[in-house]
Amino acid sequence: MLGLLKIFLRNRKAAAGLLIVLFYVTVALAAPIITSHDPNKRVSRPHQPPGVEYVMGTTRMGRDVYTQLVWGTRTSLMVGILAGLIVTLIGTVVGLTAAYYGGATDEALNFATNVVLVLPQLPLLLVLAAFLGQVGPLAIAVIIGLTSWAWGARVTRAQAMTLKNREFIQASQLIGEPVWRMILVEMLPNLLSIIGFNFIGSVIFTIITQATLEFLGLGDPLSVSWGTMLYNAKNASAITVGAWWEMVAPCAAIVLIGVGLSLLNFGVDEISNPRLRTLGAIGKAMKLQKKLDRERLLETEA
Amino acid sequence: MRFVLRRLAFYLVAFLVAATFNFLIPRLMPGNPADIMLAQAQGTIPPEAREALMETFGFINEPLHLQYLKYLASIFTWDFGLSVKYYPTPVIDLLTRALPWTVFLTGTATLLAYSLGTLFGIRAAWRRGGRFDSLVSPFALALQSIPAVVVALTALFVFAVSLNWLPTGYAYDPALEPGLDGAFLSSTLLHALMPVLSLGLVLVGGYLVTMRNNMIGQLGEDYVHLAEAKGLSDARVRYNYAARNALLPSITAFAISLGSVFGGSLITEVVFNYPGLGNLLYTGVIARDFPLIQGQLLIMTLAMLVANFAVDLAYVALDPRLRRA
Repeated sequence: MLGLLKIFLRNRKAAAGLLIVLFYVTVALAAPIITSHDPNKRVSRPHQPPGVEYVMGTTRMGRDVYTQLVWGTRTSLMVGILAGLIVTLIGTVVGLTAAYYGGATDEALNFATNVVLVLPQLPLLLVLAAFLGQVGPLAIAVIIGLTSWAWGARVTRAQAMTLKNREFIQASQLIGEPVWRMILVEMLPNLLSIIGFNFIGSVIFTIITQATLEFLGLGDPLSVSWGTMLYNAKNASAITVGAWWEMVAPCAAIVLIGVGLSLLNFGVDEISNPRLRTLGAIGKAMKLQKKLDRERLLETEA
Repeated sequence: MRFVLRRLAFYLVAFLVAATFNFLIPRLMPGNPADIMLAQAQGTIPPEAREALMETFGFINEPLHLQYLKYLASIFTWDFGLSVKYYPTPVIDLLTRALPWTVFLTGTATLLAYSLGTLFGIRAAWRRGGRFDSLVSPFALALQSIPAVVVALTALFVFAVSLNWLPTGYAYDPALEPGLDGAFLSSTLLHALMPVLSLGLVLVGGYLVTMRNNMIGQLGEDYVHLAEAKGLSDARVRYNYAARNALLPSITAFAISLGSVFGGSLITEVVFNYPGLGNLLYTGVIARDFPLIQGQLLIMTLAMLVANFAVDLAYVALDPRLRRA
């Protein structure tokens, strides 16, 4: 376990990503400690610019942007992780089942996956949210989870298919291992990097999609999250009246967690696929070689 | 040919599945859409229209399978009923008015983002770890995780509100009469600049990263080394050998990204108040205009399927194996 962590931290991208994500998790967990009042409490006059008392300024409603941002981190992370878990669970089960059983099961599951993949997702989510009325963060997490599993299922299936023909799987088949053992003990560990990739990608996607849905006014306006902050800022015409801080704070929070999670994901990708690494050492060696070549060329010409 | 026919059959079934969802959603949801809509419309619809509205949703006193068949027939005759928000304009009129703007916006932005992303990806992979790569690739990674809504809002704030260089919204100056004259066209281009560029910016990162990764995979292959050993020019090895093969998986990734293209265009249209399908859907959703929403979803699905089919055709053109199969 410790060895794995060491490999992980040696990759600069993964380490930076992990640091950002840990920071967010800490903020979300420590929300009651690092804020002093309810996020929806009116503490000041509307649209106070950032200053000593309110580090990130106040909203049109006179609410403290910093407190809202901290509590919003809690909501957004929770929704992201919940939806990520649902997506990963469905995607992995569908992908593994299709790959393992093959034949008609594979045909049916693969067909379902492809259909979900070609449906326009955001419009569909918008319509679902519209029919359900203004929905809370948990409902949003479930809806996103249930509609976004297709990509993961496809990737998991493709990877599991390549595993199926490896010798150790065929050996376990010949020994007569039960199906559950073959899937859980032989195949699953070899799919972990792709499952992790799928999970982190889904968390990013969910956080972005949740913020988007809420920005469009389809969330519960009373819940505190980055999306409702954007929605309130839009309704208060924060941009046109020059209250940029009301808009910038949630935007920056979304961008930074997105960058952190992507860095983590690309780190994972590079660790499992060394070809993708941009190693400084290789670059330097190549440059040196070129220089030597050029000098040699000049020498022979002279 | 068989490949193309198989894909066509698949899209037909996918469309039927989407249409069935569209049929089921209002029936599975709590409450009766016609009543919600009448309450929302607050008097713009005469009460007599309630019966007609109910009929629009197929809420007629008939068994479910007959309702379903009637609904399917209405789809294939492009009869989506009347809009509630813009009563009594037929939904299909609103859709055909909005469609060209969305096609223009997404088409230009995707074309721009895909060509730039692919070219830059090829370059970044060619000198992996070089100056261009270490400048462009981290930037692309960051771009990939920035949501469309943030890009659009930032662009709006900086270029339209703060600097006042570009108009804040809509597709052309409302004072102008639409027509094929210079003033109208230049106004259209000026209004399209920000939406196209911000949507393009959202998309370009993903295309760049995919192309770079595919290209790196190809550059390790033996046939590339052979081409180099033969003494072919760098450009020839890069574009005619490696890039051509790296393009195939990148086109699959492109097809998968179409969903985010439509999602991104929806957000961009809402933020810039651009009169396309996304903005229309948003208006419909906020007004709980169910006939409009349902027609929208079908049109958007259809657009998505047509775009996917176009990608399939491109795939056939690029991959000779499929032409023979």
